[in-house]
Formats: sequence, C-alpha cells, structure tokens
Amino acid sequence: MSEIAAKAPTKAAPKAPTRPRRRLIASRLVPYLLLQALIVIATILGLRLLQPNDPDDFALSGFSLRQDGVTLPVNLPHFTASRYSLDDPPIYTGSFTFRRGEAASGWSVYLPRFSNAVGVAVDGVVVLDSRRDANANRPDRNTPQIAAIPASLLREGANEITVRLFVWGPLKGFLDTVYVGPDAALRPAYETRTLLFVTLPVVFSAWQSILAVILAIMWLMRRREPVYGVLAAAMVLGVVQAYVPPPVPPAATSRLAAVLLASAPIESALVVMFGVLFFGWRWPRYGMLLFVPGLVVFVVGLIGGPPLPRILFLVLGIPTVGLCLVLMAWVTATAVVRRQDAASFTIGCAVTIVLVCWIQDMLTVLEIVSNDRIFVSRLSYSAMLVAIGAGLTWRFARALNQVDSFAGQLVTRVREAEERLKASFVREEERARAAALANERTRLMRDLHDGLGGQLVSIVALSERGHEGATITDAARAALKDLRLVIDSMDDIGGDLMLALGSWRERASAQLRPHDITLDWRVATPQGLPLHPELRPWHVIQIVRILDEAVTNAVKHAQAHRIAVTIETLDASEGPYGLISVTDDGQGFALAGHDEAGRTGQTARGLRNMRNRAARCGALLDLSSDASGTRVRLQLPQRFPDSDAAAG
Amino acid sequence: MTEQGETGEPITILLVEDDAPTCWRLQDALVKAGYEVRSAGTLGEARSALAGGAPRVLLTDLRLPDGHGIELIREMRQRFPDTEIMVISALGDEESVISAITVGATGYLLKDAFPTDIATTVRDLVAGHSPISASIARFIVRRTQGAAPNSAEPPPGPLLNTARLTPREIDILWGIAKGFSYAEIASHLGLSKQTVPGHIKNIYRKLEVHTRSEAVFEAVQQGLIKL
Repeated sequence: MSEIAAKAPTKAAPKAPTRPRRRLIASRLVPYLLLQALIVIATILGLRLLQPNDPDDFALSGFSLRQDGVTLPVNLPHFTASRYSLDDPPIYTGSFTFRRGEAASGWSVYLPRFSNAVGVAVDGVVVLDSRRDANANRPDRNTPQIAAIPASLLREGANEITVRLFVWGPLKGFLDTVYVGPDAALRPAYETRTLLFVTLPVVFSAWQSILAVILAIMWLMRRREPVYGVLAAAMVLGVVQAYVPPPVPPAATSRLAAVLLASAPIESALVVMFGVLFFGWRWPRYGMLLFVPGLVVFVVGLIGGPPLPRILFLVLGIPTVGLCLVLMAWVTATAVVRRQDAASFTIGCAVTIVLVCWIQDMLTVLEIVSNDRIFVSRLSYSAMLVAIGAGLTWRFARALNQVDSFAGQLVTRVREAEERLKASFVREEERARAAALANERTRLMRDLHDGLGGQLVSIVALSERGHEGATITDAARAALKDLRLVIDSMDDIGGDLMLALGSWRERASAQLRPHDITLDWRVATPQGLPLHPELRPWHVIQIVRILDEAVTNAVKHAQAHRIAVTIETLDASEGPYGLISVTDDGQGFALAGHDEAGRTGQTARGLRNMRNRAARCGALLDLSSDASGTRVRLQLPQRFPDSDAAAG
Repeated sequence: MTEQGETGEPITILLVEDDAPTCWRLQDALVKAGYEVRSAGTLGEARSALAGGAPRVLLTDLRLPDGHGIELIREMRQRFPDTEIMVISALGDEESVISAITVGATGYLLKDAFPTDIATTVRDLVAGHSPISASIARFIVRRTQGAAPNSAEPPPGPLLNTARLTPREIDILWGIAKGFSYAEIASHLGLSKQTVPGHIKNIYRKLEVHTRSEAVFEAVQQGLIKL
C-alpha cells in the first residue's frame, strides 16, 4: 500500500523537480496532521465527557472475594484473573443497609459494568442472572444491568449481597462498583448507560443495514465499481456481528461465536480495501494478506474448541484491526495530500477518531488507563461506517444530478443540432430545387434555341421577302413541330423510349401525308426497345431530332416514296441494346469525303448535326447512301450518359 | 361533294374559334370537304347559334374571349347528348385535351393540321371513331399505373379517374402510346381491327365523369347509393 502511495506521484510527474513537490506535500500534510492532532485531543476530551455519572450515594465498594478457596477483602472496581471455566466462579460478598422508611419506591441493584456475566443474589435469593441476556455478556459492549429487589426479600437493617462473576478468557474478569438503593435514584444512571451503549449501537446498526442494502443494490447495478460492493460487504458483516447474539460459552453453538469473532478483522480489512478503491488506487494482490488473520480465526473457530478462537482473536484479530486502522489513516492522509478534497478530509478525520478510540480500548484492556472498562471503538467504528455510507450515497445522488443536467444539456444540444440540420436541409433542398430549375431552364432554352428560335427567325426572314408563302408555311410547321417535341420531351416516360417514338410516329405521319410518302413502322421485337431508367428528356430530344432530320432529308433531298422505320432490340455480350433504322427508297446522296459537289451546304450541316446529337447521347450513327436509297442506322447505347459532355 | 348523315341531311358543324385566321382556315377545310359550317368567335355567339338547333359536331377552342370552352362542352353534352365534340388545340397538350375529355369531348384537332387531315378526323368522328393520340394515351396509362412510385404527391396535370378502365382497354392505350397502329394492336391482342375504335370510344366515355350516368356510377362506387 505504502509502496503504491509513494510510487504513484513519481510516475505521474517524473520530470517534476523534487524540492517544490516536497514543499507542496509538506504544505498540505502539516495542516492535516495538526488538524488530526486537534481531533485526537477533542476525542480524548469527548471520551472523558462521555463517562457516565453514577449515583455515588448508593455505591457499594467494600466486598470480600472468595476465589479458588481463598477469601480476601477487595474494593470495587476489581479485576479478577482470566479463567476458562465457568465452574466455581469468583464470588463477591458485601452488605448494605436497608431502611424501610427511607423510600416509598422499591429498591434495585444496579451493575454499570461487568465482564463477562454476573449472577446477583440478595440474602441468598438470586435477583439477576445476566447470562440469560446474551447481548449483556458481550465484552465489546458496555451493557449495564439493573434488577428490582423484591420488597419481601429486604430486611430492615443489614442485608447481604452476593455477586458471582462468570469469566471466560482470555480477557480478565471485571466488576465495577455495585449500586444498591431506591430504584428512582438508580434508574436514570442505568437509562443513560443503556442509551449510550445499547440503544445507540442498535440505531447505528440499523442505519448500517439500510446502507448495506443501498450500497449492495448500487454495486449490483454498477458491477464495474467494486467499491460499493466492498463497503456493502463490510456493513453486512458489521450488522450480522451486531445483531446475532453470541452464545454463552457452555452452549453447543460455540462455532457461531467464532464466526462472529472473525468478523471484526475481516470487516476492518474490507474497510481498508474500500479506502484504497475509493481513492482510485488499484487493490494490490498482496493486500489480500490483510484478510488472513480474520480467516485464521474463523477456521480455527470452526475446528477448535471455544477458548482457542478467543485467544487467537485477542492476539491476531485485534492487532489486525489496529493495523487496518493505521493503514486506513495512511491511505487517507495520502489521499488528502494528493486530492485535497472534502471526502478524503472527512474520512481521514473519522479514521483518526476511530484510531484514538481503539488505542484507548487497548490501554483499557492493558489496564494502563483506568476507564471502568468502557470500550468505545466498536461504537465509533459504526458511526464512521454510517458517515462513510451516507457520504457515498450523497455522492451518488450528486452524480445522478449531474447525469440529469448532462442529459438535459444533451437534449437541448440535440434539439439545436436538429434545428440546424433542418434549416440546412431546407436550404439544401431549396438550393437543389433552384439548381434543378436552372438546369431545366438552360436545357429548355438550348432546345428552343436549337429548333424553334431558328425556325421563327427563318419565318421572319421569309415574310420580309414577301413571296415565299409555301416556304413560310414549312418553316412555321417546323417550328410548331419542334415546340411539340420540346413539350413532349418534358414528359416523364419512365425510361421507355417507345412512348416518345409513338408520338413522333404521329407527327412524322402527318408530315409525310401531304407528300404522299408512306411511313412503314416496324417493331421487330415485341417489347420494342430496352428500358433505360437513366433516360432523360434531353436524350429523347436528341434522338427524336436525329429521326426528324433523317425523315426531312428523305423528303427534301431524296425524293423518296417510302420511308421505313425499324425498331429492334439486339443482344450484345454486355447486354441488350436498341437499334433504330430509317431507310428510304430515294435517290440517295453522296456522303462526306466522297463527292463534295453532290451535297448542298444545308444537307452537310444536317448530317453534322445528326452526328453531334448521336455523340451527345452516346449513340452510334451510321449513314449509308446510294442510288437505291439512304439508310440511317442509330445504335443506342446500353446506358445513356449522365451529363451532356459533348454539349459544349 | 357534300358530307351527309345517315338521314341524308348535310352534316352540320359548329366551329367556335376566336382567332379569325385560324377560324377561316378550319372553316375552309371543312366547307371544302362538304360540311355545313357555322362559326362563332365567342361563347355568347356559340350559345345563340345553338338556339337554332343542335349541330352534329361541335369543334371548339378552349380559351375564348368571354369564357372557357369547357363550359360550352359541358352544356352541350347535357343539352345535346348526341353531338360529337372535339377540342381545337394549338399543341395537343394533355392539360387542355384531358380536361375536355372529362367533360365529354371525344378527341382533339390540331389547329395546324393539314386540310385533308382536318376533314378525315371529322369524318372518322361522325362515323363513330374517336381518334386518340399517342401522347394522350400515354398520359392516361400513366395515370392508371399510379403515376410516380412516390405517390405521396398527387401526380401533376389534370385530374383523371382511370379506375373503371379494363385491362384490355389499358393494353390498347399502351399500344397507341408506343406508336402501334390499330391493326398492329388488334393482332397483338387478338382482336378484330374494327373493334378497336369501339374500345377507344368506351375509354372516352369512362373518362367522362360529369354525365348523369357517371354521377350515379360514382355514387354507387362511393357507397352513397345502394342498388
């Protein structure tokens, strides 16, 4: 323990200069030690004040003691030798004077302190046998006894009183001054002692048992904090020790007494363990050695006969308790130096008080201090445990409050984040909508510009010349056709190009009818073209314009009589693709590079446009033309491109 | 040449169109084809023309100076159930055509159609054939399929009740939408070519929700009336 305490600071700040740290330790340790000295003085003073007053008017001190066949006069309080047998107990014989007129109330005999048990007889009649009250015989308690003397028993004048003192080792027997007198005079003193040495321990033990339950529940719910479990175990042991009545030695259940004897050293070791864990250190493996004395007492008590465990307890158990108290004092002092917090201060002061009480008890046992054999360490220890338990519960409640406020903050933050997110989502959505609108507008503008704009300009030009009625009609029709195409392409056709081609067929038929050209429409595969979920309006416009251009060329330049449109789906290794062919039976025209003179500028531009458009939607355009007709073969891509890359 | 009805009377047409050149153009085409054409430029003129008796065919524009053509179609359908009604449209867009169909029109005529096409369309209409274009068919079948998959938003465009269309009628509409001819549709579906126009006429009737019989049907559908 001390090793850890000494090493830890060095580890924490290995580079720190030594001298200032020492000064810091000194500056913290010295006031703490001064405070502990004050507490020691206060405790000693307090113990003096605690000493109950007895009604000295009725004290009986002069007795004759018959022990081991020898009779000698003694003065109470008196110690007898330690014994291990209940046979032939020491007998104290004394006398008192009773005057009937003196008191209206009855008389009593009052024994403030004895060890271990007494049997009291007045004029040869037994009026009190403390062996019947198991708790009264515990050497660690300071239980007083009072018994009314039946009025018929008392004789006017001198009466004899006999006190048998039953002693079971290893402690010496002890009999404090005996009081005989009017009950009204004795009872207040008895009540005071009962309150201090019987009722108060019961209250503390009850409190301890409640805290044991609370701490045990905390530990069950938070297994990773063994500190609660350790303290709960210590408290449970303490409660068991306090409530289970120890059997009077000749009883058969002497093993139970051994268990109870073992509880104190184990309990004190548990408290040390709690202290170590509470202040955030690791419990060293060799720390388990602290439990050894308690376990030895326990095992010996289970195996051996009654006196042995008691002797062991005296030589092993009580020093262990003292050692534990010293260790605990060391742990808390280290914690005070390191942490400087209220918890370590409080526990440190409590440990000091208990240590003082333990030393006092030792001095009492060794008869160095005459203290009427009142033991106070058990009482002060219970008080300390209660204080620690209350402190822990308080700390836990405070932690819960922190969690609550943290949860509240979290809720607020989450709400704020949510609102920010919502706002940004709305902004993003608006931005996306605006972008989509802008894109659509751009596309519409380009499409209208490509077709309608040029045609309207052409109409204006023709009208200004004033004598090209038929040509104006053609231009206006083309403009209307284009307007319908743009509107049509905006429609959502769900990736089915056939739906767009259906409308185109109607327009193309209407266009061809006045020219007496038949439009042969052949869908070679039942489903027509494959579905293209990625198909966008601008793809549709490009494809329909390519087909328009093909038909227009056939009408204007090839003098065809028949135009056949074939739609089919072909299978390639990577999947199906669509193929649209436009074939006419016209006279054909020379293609680029073959015959420069055979083409008009307009046709050239038309062909260039067709190729551009095909490239923009990833389609392959193949033109072949000869005297028997022209064939435009538009091979659709397996997947239409997302962006209009070739648009620029 | 004069187009005549079954009774031998000449077929009368009421043409309602406020744009004078367009009106002249249509009227010329129809008169040349032998129809008896009266024309009106406003709703008011059309109503007073109807005082003299019901025409066989009503051709009306939708946007008129003193009102909307839809009103005229609705009145016409109620007062003269036998009159064939067609909308004259510049673009043939579904906004105007579908709303006219729901009040009783059975087709549309493009304002820039070639004169022969104009005459042919009216002749087919009088013969009991209601033409339907690919884009209109497309619109109708899309509505039967619940439009977009995210049906939280109502589909754009005019409202259309397609609940009563049979699967066969929807197949026919699909065929028209994809550009198949009546003959192709009939052979695909195993019908005779002559029955296709009848189906289309039925489709028009089912889409019309403001006739009296339709009102009764709707009421039964919604559980308001028990038969």
